[in-house]
Amino acid sequence: MTNRCPSDLALEQHLLDPAASPLLAHVEVCPLCRHRVARMLRDGEDFRRYVFPGSVERVEAAAARDRRRWLPFVLAPAGAAVAIAAGLLLVARAPPGPPAGYEGGVKGGSMTLAVYTTGDQGVRALADGAAVPAAAALRFKVGARDCAALWLFSVDAAGQVTRLHPAAGDAAPPPAGGELPGGAVLDGQAGPERIYAVCAERPLPWEDVARAAREAAGGGAVRVRAGAALPGLPPGTAQATLLLEKRP
Amino acid sequence: MARERERAAEAYRTYGPAVYRRCLRLMRDREAARDATQEVFVKLVRELSKLEDAAVALPWLYRVATNHCLNQLRNAGRRGEEPVGELEVASGAQPSFPDRHLAASVLARFDEGTQAVAVGVLVDGMGHEELAGALGISRKTVERRLARFLAGARALVGVQP
Repeated sequence: MTNRCPSDLALEQHLLDPAASPLLAHVEVCPLCRHRVARMLRDGEDFRRYVFPGSVERVEAAAARDRRRWLPFVLAPAGAAVAIAAGLLLVARAPPGPPAGYEGGVKGGSMTLAVYTTGDQGVRALADGAAVPAAAALRFKVGARDCAALWLFSVDAAGQVTRLHPAAGDAAPPPAGGELPGGAVLDGQAGPERIYAVCAERPLPWEDVARAAREAAGGGAVRVRAGAALPGLPPGTAQATLLLEKRP
Repeated sequence: MARERERAAEAYRTYGPAVYRRCLRLMRDREAARDATQEVFVKLVRELSKLEDAAVALPWLYRVATNHCLNQLRNAGRRGEEPVGELEVASGAQPSFPDRHLAASVLARFDEGTQAVAVGVLVDGMGHEELAGALGISRKTVERRLARFLAGARALVGVQP
């Protein structure tokens, strides 16, 4: 470590969101820090493969247990606060700083996006932020008005933007009823994956959409979860998004 | 309650690697680090709201994980299990080589707060200001505890300052 090399704690902060990290330039040119980061990533992978799967149930159970312990004491105040909380919830679900032309959300506006998977209890629609098996099979349904070009794609924590519909060629209007043919199978890697649907009134090149996706959510798990609205799309372009948490 | 479980799992997935790495660095044993990581999160799920802001969450988790691991090591020493041994110190850390290795060898003799400062400065090579922020104490407190630790450590091993 040189005098200018960051501490382990600073590198941990860096790893949470490398693309936005002030340490990125240093890490890229410092062999020692590159080695440290590589070792940290290896240890992180060790956690994801061997620690998380066998212990997440215990952590979840502790959270539920603690919640139950407090429930009798919070019920009464919670009842009184329901009206206020409902208002806050509506505000909290709106994406931060929507650009002009933003109309999306999972529901509402002129565009909707529904994502389905199958499990022990049959087919179910997934809520925003839902946990799914890391290799889950998904189906999609969109609702949009005046849609000449539909793009459906996802962004993961590694910054990978994946086309889901159409898998090749140019975008086209959605089929009648909105249910997209085929589907997608997640890549088996644990972590957040954000699905976006975009509907444009006119042809919209994939490169423009992919660039907007990288700007909005590329560069780490924190950015995927934050799920900023896609910037720079033409006026009149609607968008909707939904977050999935892939579990090992 | 399902929401609480999801939040806990999400926090564990996001910050678990950092806590695991911290525990691994201090305990130098993968099995012990795995157990310690779980224990830290089982304790922390009561305060999930603190994990919503990454800028606050990470230093807090780091502090809790450090204290937990140092306690584990100290307790293991008291039970007569394998002693702490020499912690892997950051190469090039600012304090001199003898001070850093002094820290590693006599750490278990000090209280939790002093240990955290000694590890932060002498083992991790953190600056006083950064460590103060991470531990939630003032820079003066960092300096005071460090001076106390070094004086005590030298006395323990009979080294002149």
